[in-house]
Amino acid sequence: MNKFDQAPVRKLLAVFAHPDDESFICGGTLAKYASEGVDITLVSATRGEMGRRMGNPPYLNRETMAAAREMELRQACASLGIRHLIFLNIRDKTVEFTDADRLTARIEDLIHQVDPDVVLTFHETLGGHPDHCAIGKATTAALRGTGHRGALYFITFGDAMERPERFGFTRGDITKVDVHAHLEAKLAAFRAHRCQTEIDEWVWLPDQEAMTRFGRHEYFMKGNREAAARLRHDLF
Amino acid sequence: MMTITRPQVEAELLKFVGADAYIHSEATSFVFVRNFKIKLTHAYIAGEGPFRAALRFDGHGWLRMEALTHYEVDGNSRLLLAGYDDRGRMNVALHLGKEPFAE
Ligand SMILES: [Zn+2]
Repeated sequence: MNKFDQAPVRKLLAVFAHPDDESFICGGTLAKYASEGVDITLVSATRGEMGRRMGNPPYLNRETMAAAREMELRQACASLGIRHLIFLNIRDKTVEFTDADRLTARIEDLIHQVDPDVVLTFHETLGGHPDHCAIGKATTAALRGTGHRGALYFITFGDAMERPERFGFTRGDITKVDVHAHLEAKLAAFRAHRCQTEIDEWVWLPDQEAMTRFGRHEYFMKGNREAAARLRHDLF
Repeated sequence: MMTITRPQVEAELLKFVGADAYIHSEATSFVFVRNFKIKLTHAYIAGEGPFRAALRFDGHGWLRMEALTHYEVDGNSRLLLAGYDDRGRMNVALHLGKEPFAE
């Protein structure tokens, strides 16, 4: 065995609300770390079964959507290199109404099981959707509650955090990950979420053309002291 | 899902009249109700497309929806009505079942 084989496997736990959060928001980063051998566990609170996009032309209805989106997420995970997928079986759009203490306790259990070096979730007020904020709040509380040493980051949308001062943050609060070598995997994951992306013509353009829509970087807000101690361009 | 034709949907609605039914209903992102249990007394469909539907229940209840375009009777004998826009987004849905829908 060489030194690389003996290095402990790095682990990342991502706790999000819907199938597609992982691909649309930080798919490049997940693909990058998966390609480096990081063991990634994705938790999706819901199956996104209340989404309005039903394919274009539509091939789903409300009752078939949960199973279809689960399958699409499994395919997206394969594209990104995510090895473990866990659903919390909460109904889409109701995460904020589930018992918060119980939800936090479930995530604490997952943190104990996975023992992650990095935890990704949504910021509890900047998440952009009530389900996002609710799962972010529970995950943040869970990591604090366990006292686990994992570094906590909040995922952010697009390149908004290229200028963090506009949101009251400094550059030091942000980790900027270069994902340009992993945009093919990100595009494949977008396409795996077919019912959500068929409406967006650009996703289905030839690969090179479609990939011009992706930024070169994805941005993360540092969420605890462990994250603050790490480099500006790497989550680990 | 198939495009609604009024006589077919009317016949399917009639199969639920006179008995208890579970309802799922939603309109865009603003509201959904799931597993309302009602005793259905009358069911109507109207319009030339998109269609309007109305249910009367429990002696005093109304549920009315519009913008319905598609329907299907699924493998569990549930009647699924939905309204899609021209890009596949669902605007409205009205489902009737004899058993509760998955929570
Ligand atoms: Zn989401």
